[in-house]
Amino acid sequence: MRSRYDVIVVGGGHAGAEAAAASARAGVRTLLLTPDLGRVGQMSCNPAVGGVAKGVVAREVDALGGVMGRATDASRIQFRMLNRSKGPAVWGPRAQCDRAMYPVAVRAILDELPMLDLFQEMVDDVLIDGGRVAGVRTRGGMNLEAGAVVVTTGTFLRGRIHIGGEAGLSAGRAGEAPSVALAEGLERAGLKVARFKTGTPPRIDGRTVDFSRTERQDGDEMEYRFAAYCDEVIPAQRPCWITWAGDGLKQVVRANLRRSALYGGEIAGRGPRYCPSIEDKIVRFPDAPRHQVFLEPEGLRTTELYVNGLSTSLPADTQLEFLRTVPGLEDVMMTKVGYAIEYDYFPPHQLRHTLEVRGVPGLFFAGQINGTTGYEEAAGQGIVAGINAALKVRGEDPFVLERDQAYIGVLIDDLVTRGVDEPYRLFTSRAEFRLLLRQDNAHRRLGPLARDRGLLTDEQGVRLADRLEAEDRVLVWFEETVVTPEVAAPVLADAGSSELSEPTRAIELLRRPRVGAADVLRAARPEGGDVPRADVLATVEVELKYSGYVARERARADRLRSQADFALSRDLPYEGFRTLSFEAREKLAQVRPGTLAQAGRIPGVSPADLQNLVLEVRRLAGATSFVPSGADG
Amino acid sequence: MMTDVDTIAALSTVPGLSAVAVIRISGPGAASVLSSLLPLGCALPEERRATLVELRDPDDGSTLDRALVTRFAAPASYTGEDMVELSCHGGWIVPGLVLDACRRAGAREAEAGEFTRRAYLRGKLDLAQAEAIADVIEARSRALHRAAVHQMDRGLSDRIADLRARVVRVEALLAHHVDFPEEDDAPVPLDTVAAEARGLWRETDAMLATAPEGELLREGAVAVLAGRPNAGKSSLYNALLGEERAIVTEEPGTTRDALIASVELGGFPFRLVDTAGLRGDPGRVEALGIEVARRWLEAADVVLFCVPAQEGLTEEDEAFLSEVRGAPVVLIETKADLASDGSPAGRGAHAAVADKLRVSVRTGEGLGVLRERVRSLVYGRVLGAGVDVPVLTRRRHADALRVARTELGVFCEALMSGVPAEMAATHLRLAESALEEVVGVVVADDVLDVVFREFCVGK
Ligand SMILES: Nc1nc2c(ncn2[C@@H]2O[C@H](COP(=O)(O)OP(=O)(O)O)[C@@H](O)[C@H]2O)c(=O)[nH]1
Repeated sequence: MRSRYDVIVVGGGHAGAEAAAASARAGVRTLLLTPDLGRVGQMSCNPAVGGVAKGVVAREVDALGGVMGRATDASRIQFRMLNRSKGPAVWGPRAQCDRAMYPVAVRAILDELPMLDLFQEMVDDVLIDGGRVAGVRTRGGMNLEAGAVVVTTGTFLRGRIHIGGEAGLSAGRAGEAPSVALAEGLERAGLKVARFKTGTPPRIDGRTVDFSRTERQDGDEMEYRFAAYCDEVIPAQRPCWITWAGDGLKQVVRANLRRSALYGGEIAGRGPRYCPSIEDKIVRFPDAPRHQVFLEPEGLRTTELYVNGLSTSLPADTQLEFLRTVPGLEDVMMTKVGYAIEYDYFPPHQLRHTLEVRGVPGLFFAGQINGTTGYEEAAGQGIVAGINAALKVRGEDPFVLERDQAYIGVLIDDLVTRGVDEPYRLFTSRAEFRLLLRQDNAHRRLGPLARDRGLLTDEQGVRLADRLEAEDRVLVWFEETVVTPEVAAPVLADAGSSELSEPTRAIELLRRPRVGAADVLRAARPEGGDVPRADVLATVEVELKYSGYVARERARADRLRSQADFALSRDLPYEGFRTLSFEAREKLAQVRPGTLAQAGRIPGVSPADLQNLVLEVRRLAGATSFVPSGADG
Repeated sequence: MMTDVDTIAALSTVPGLSAVAVIRISGPGAASVLSSLLPLGCALPEERRATLVELRDPDDGSTLDRALVTRFAAPASYTGEDMVELSCHGGWIVPGLVLDACRRAGAREAEAGEFTRRAYLRGKLDLAQAEAIADVIEARSRALHRAAVHQMDRGLSDRIADLRARVVRVEALLAHHVDFPEEDDAPVPLDTVAAEARGLWRETDAMLATAPEGELLREGAVAVLAGRPNAGKSSLYNALLGEERAIVTEEPGTTRDALIASVELGGFPFRLVDTAGLRGDPGRVEALGIEVARRWLEAADVVLFCVPAQEGLTEEDEAFLSEVRGAPVVLIETKADLASDGSPAGRGAHAAVADKLRVSVRTGEGLGVLRERVRSLVYGRVLGAGVDVPVLTRRRHADALRVARTELGVFCEALMSGVPAEMAATHLRLAESALEEVVGVVVADDVLDVVFREFCVGK
């Protein structure tokens, strides 16, 4: 280890691993500091990557040259494409991973990077000199210099674990110490702190489960890879098991509600509505007859199962009691208790879109420290923070993804401009351009950006170029090829579509419902020709088939941007306009524009903010009956 | 383009002889303009209290008038800005002098509709309400007045807001469907979503039912009097107008050009058109008149076809009736006082005829029934709509609702024909935008310009 680095990353979770890797790939000397090098890339909650919207983020991180896609391929023991019954724009790839293999894969990928050093040590403070970051001070008292520091400490800042009514145990994760000094140091630097909570479910011994009373769920038989530039060896596959928590569990939970840390008033912070504890579910939905429970394998070489759906902060004896009411778990043995954890986060409106802390040049935050949940959300921030830390040190332009470029762009923009009032998770409905932000085109959207910033190796660059070229060839073929009614007839008949009356471009055929790209290709080129790869064809098909919809989405957003000449009085109480993003409120209060058009030109004031601004002004004047709706729509 | 810095003034009442004229001043300088018009040392009147003051010329101090002044402080005023309302004497001289004094004291002459435009841009009104104010002022019929007052009271705005909120809800159902594939409670089935959207389609469609008639409320429906010379058209025209407007003569073909008058029939606005007598072999002057008549017939919302009761329809009449396209025809048997009770000599029916009645302008027989019938024929949907149903009086509203209806329809179709939910949702967002345009959530400048062009100065 050196005493001076360009970039130091504090924390080795999903955000930290991506930040460190991105910074090193950008070509600057990087150090990753973490209290336990054995747990870099640890999955502290559910051993799974992806899902609806989140799976797209995993693909985006990969397209940017990140770690997550490769590590997932190398450790996944079940794959499913969620939302397959719905449109391809919202498909969500999800992989169950081997909890032990994932960190190993992450570590192996990090070890490939010559510009990255790893060191096992707790960080107690961020050194600030003359208003900008100068380095970090370790628990051992070492001062390490750096041009930029990325803090990715997850739930470790003043973390407290709650199991049942006990007073709460200081910890960053079960069995690991929290970072208290660092939290205090950052607070001293003038940053605002708030508190969130989150929970995990118990784990159980698979040998004590009666699987015959559960429903087996196998993965999808499909050739799918998260990693676009590298073919990892995919391990053997395993099923998950589905069972249901019913009345018995409800009774146990109800009877013990007072003993829950969540309901006993032990925890002050807010938890995610989207990932509720079983106490939450039973209190908030008393009429639901039953709740789905997934028993997910923790790995290939263990019988341990993760009980997805039953996260809790009830006492250990109660956990065992309610587990045993669940079909298949009558004789179950618990291996780890579930717990709730509360932790500090720094409200993210204090950040720029680069994830640099405003007012502290060189200091970057990424991951749960910014109030998000989920490995993918953390990884997405980590990679952006890491890239920007490196660019900062090199004095280059920042790297910012727009809302119509990536879910990562939506995520960061939401964090920075709206702030969070509960742990933030991505949804497709958060993106106004979700038709554009698909899992199948992540490499097309982001690959070239990463390549241009020097984030891809030569080899990765070649893989990208090959893939894009293959897609382009197919795109051009569909645009240029004219199909006669006779050739199209069988395809259209299969699709239940009306016949053509004149020769028509292949792309028009494809736009018809139920007509697939492969069918059109086969019909128009009976001789064969070189057949494009299935994933290439799938990307092109979605791209062409729905381009009309995508264009309409764009037109609408553009129209919103052309704002009216709506006058804004100079003394509007912006602070009270809660339907506006945090940043918009702050900026508007600072700038105090005279018209809506001026307001629209202020960076950080989005079209939605403008809409809501008009509504707020009207509501203030008592002139409208519109109830402004929040961003979630 | 407007900024919020300048102060405007305008005469809000009709120029000319009147006891009182009202001048309005609005903008951040309103109070200072007023104080320049007050005698030196005279304090500004208290807010929202009518105060009698002497108005002086700001330059030479000469007395202009005595006026009742009310001052409003932003934002509690019509425009949402600081405002002053001066009630001075009317007539030819005073208002002009006072307005000129305001100008020298720093106010600029307001553009057409600028007060209401400012009220809109300050959020005091939404766009539909602003338009309603113009209609309330301009209404020439009780029916438009009623529709406009309802709209000014947010009748339309509330309905639109409600529709929009429910479209957003449908979108939220889809979001749930897309974002939570593995939740405990099964996602809302797509047919339920489509059914909701179809309900919204039906409501939008129902709102559109009054659209073409509602627009007539503003302009007046065109009721064209037609029939052979001497059929009694001019007499009926005058009877409906209640005054001698057209020249009534015994000589066939003397009504050479079309006469147009605005008239309220049963509380609804009409433009009554008396055309030249239609005759097989017309002279040159009459030919011109007939040409005019045919043009009006094309624009007619209803045709009042006059036939003397004792004669009935001739072949010539029937040939004419066969040419009428679109507008309903009321066959009016005129001069009922001259006819015996028996059926007329000619035929009394024709396929184009929607309604038939007997009228005499001499005795007044049938005139009341005629008014009612014509009103119901043209404004049946407005009359049939419930009191709470907003009447669409502007093409802008109808156009936006039509877009919303189309998008909702396409959405249902798309969803049912297997277009993925998240794609179909695009149509919901477009429907939302269309609805937002009616009340002007964020509208493009050109829409605003069109809306506010309709206002005259001082409103
Ligand atoms: N007795 C009677 N005479 C009428 C009535 N209406 C019109 N007339 C007469 O019929 C003649 C032609 O009427 P006029 O209105 O000029 O017919 P036009 O050529 O169709 O406009 C005039 O002498 C009118 O006085 C009516 O209701 N009763």
